[in-house]
Amino acid sequence: MRTKQLGVLASALALLLAGCGSPGAPVDPAPVGSVQPPTPANAVVETDVAADGGTEDECNVEASLPADGNIAAGSTMAEIRERGHLVAGVDQNTYLFGFRNPTTGQLEGFDIDIAKQVAEAIFGDPDAIRFRAISSAQRIPALQNGDVDIVVRTFSITCERRAEINFSTVYYVAGQRVLVNESSDAESISDLGGKRVCAAKSSTSLKNIAKVETKPVPVSVDDWSDCLVMLQQGQVDAVSTDDTILAGMAQQDPTTKIVGERFTDELYGIGIPKDDEDMVRFVNSVLETVRGGQWQQSYDRWLRERLGAAAPPKPLYQ
Amino acid sequence: MTSTVTRRGPGAPGTEQPEEPRGQRSGVAWLLDLPANAVRGITRSAATTPGRLSLIATGLVVLSLLTGLVGTLAVQDRGNTIDGLIDHREPLAAAAQQVYRSLSDADATAASALLSTGAEPAELRERYDFDIAKAGAALAKAASDSAGVPEAARQVNILSQQMPVYTGLVETARANNRQGFPAGAAYLREASELMRAKILPAAHELYEIDTERLAAEQDDAAGFPWLTALLVLGLLAALIATQVYLKRRTNRVFNVGLVVATVAVGIAILWSAAAMTVQSVLVSSGSTDGTEQVDVLVRARIAALQARADETLTLVARGGGAEYEKEFGELSGRLAGRDGQGGLLAEAASRASGEDSAGHIESARDNAGAWLRAHAQVRELDDSGEYQDAVGLAIDGGNRDGAAQAFSRLDQNLAAAIGAGRQNFLDDTTNGGRALTLLAPGFALLAVIAALGTTLGIRERLREYR
Repeated sequence: MRTKQLGVLASALALLLAGCGSPGAPVDPAPVGSVQPPTPANAVVETDVAADGGTEDECNVEASLPADGNIAAGSTMAEIRERGHLVAGVDQNTYLFGFRNPTTGQLEGFDIDIAKQVAEAIFGDPDAIRFRAISSAQRIPALQNGDVDIVVRTFSITCERRAEINFSTVYYVAGQRVLVNESSDAESISDLGGKRVCAAKSSTSLKNIAKVETKPVPVSVDDWSDCLVMLQQGQVDAVSTDDTILAGMAQQDPTTKIVGERFTDELYGIGIPKDDEDMVRFVNSVLETVRGGQWQQSYDRWLRERLGAAAPPKPLYQ
Repeated sequence: MTSTVTRRGPGAPGTEQPEEPRGQRSGVAWLLDLPANAVRGITRSAATTPGRLSLIATGLVVLSLLTGLVGTLAVQDRGNTIDGLIDHREPLAAAAQQVYRSLSDADATAASALLSTGAEPAELRERYDFDIAKAGAALAKAASDSAGVPEAARQVNILSQQMPVYTGLVETARANNRQGFPAGAAYLREASELMRAKILPAAHELYEIDTERLAAEQDDAAGFPWLTALLVLGLLAALIATQVYLKRRTNRVFNVGLVVATVAVGIAILWSAAAMTVQSVLVSSGSTDGTEQVDVLVRARIAALQARADETLTLVARGGGAEYEKEFGELSGRLAGRDGQGGLLAEAASRASGEDSAGHIESARDNAGAWLRAHAQVRELDDSGEYQDAVGLAIDGGNRDGAAQAFSRLDQNLAAAIGAGRQNFLDDTTNGGRALTLLAPGFALLAVIAALGTTLGIRERLREYR
């Protein structure tokens, strides 16, 4: 019987000892640190955007070669006619300006309409054209390498670019504005100091964002549609670029709004290789015709609803 | 209860010890003296022949039993390792491979689906859903084993965290695309970036870890059993030496007991040598013709899948796809070599000559050639602005010469070859395991026979001294 008593005593002691130690806090079985949301490929927060604003007035941006609609033998247009189709560098991702309609597979938009008019003038057939989709950064190299005959891709004329390629007369005047979420208080780009603002790599918009005095933080991406993705994912506070591109984004997402006045004038021209001056004259004559009626038709179809009424810009020649 | 009391009585522990005169000394001091006393006892008995014989007998019995124990455990352990290879390790490596493959396929399929105009083709949607389901199931299987391997656990963690994010992005892309919004393509590119930058590297790492663990266990199962070999050869030498000694002492050539013991040990040596040789050869061949071949094929299949994703993404990127095309060039080079005749497929073909999978690999090489030719055509069309035709050639499953069909034939060939390789592994390894049948109990029995033979044989000689 003594053993039994001893046993009871021992177990009581053991219980007492176990009771004294702290049981500790319950462990988190699967700790997760910070969560990194996905970002579009090559999205970069720019810390140093070349602010080369000084060169702005060194050339006459708008002035192009006088229009000439004749196709002489041996001219660039004759070569194109020989080939059987015009090759145009365009955008496939900018809603309303140049985009592929997923239901039909066809390219559509304001820029596409203009490019087709050039084909119509050379061949008498708006569909004698092959589109090559290029990114913003590829616009000048594609022309220099001869990959494309013309670039119709929300292409702002600047003096810097004029040094490398030729431009037609202005066929559209856009201006940089800001796209923000519906709930945002920002009313212009200056209200976005310290906030992240998205723009495409090597676009004029990116440089313009960097120039704003309140210092918004420029974020650069490969493609304009990546900016909308980042805005929708809350990784940037705003997108700032030409109102034309912003209109396409606002059209894709009803919870966004375009705010502020235009703080730049972006003059869209058709990009043409430096040497093809005959082509510049020819395209200018096509644009003369387009301004006569086709322009308004395309504008009303794609842009009027978002951007209000507008008229074609007056051409300016050298 | 009373019995407990008596057992715990103060005299009880003492009774287990020999009746050494303890006198006033404490138990501890006596214990400390024990080795010295034992040595003294042994030296005393070694001085006489009968004493020496008893010592030899004890030594031989202990050595026989020890050898039996070690050998039996080693064989048992080897059998367990082989069972583990078949039931556990190889399926896990296959699961990791499945995660990797399914996710790569999902990436390529999602891109193809987005390229189709109009409503998304049902078969692409099904294929994507199946890939994601398969990846999820395989990941759960792979995760079940990752505990204790921190590097594997880290990869499983990345995979389980990012996979839902990936599928979310793909669905967003799909929703946008259905409304005709270009943002759909942007979401898909983001999803693909996530897949390539985070998910696939983790899946690859996990696959590598599991494949290495498989190879390590195969080496284990095919390794040479040094300890057992040393003991059993030592035992044989000791038995022979004893018989030589006895012959000199007693002028009698044979001692039946010791001869029986020697024969038993000899049989144990021959049996285990034969069984283990057959088993290691089979396990090694399961490794070279099975898992190593599978590894080459898996790498080829993944390279093909990622190249396929690049092919479609170049088209999805609509102008910004130069990087994808560059990667396609690298991957197809890895798959089939610069000239279409080398790369992983050639390596797999040279390894497989004479195997069941040789036919599959041969067709795989043909189809890879057809695919790369179709790809060149796709690029030509896209580069010359014939985007719609390029897309058609790239994703139309109905066109026999199209990239989609050539690729899917290639993928099927590789899947069949991988299946054949896994079958090789299973056959060889199972047969290797069978070679060890009854060896463990047999070894134990022979060791006991050796011990008994030794005891009886030496007792017979000892009797002559009485």
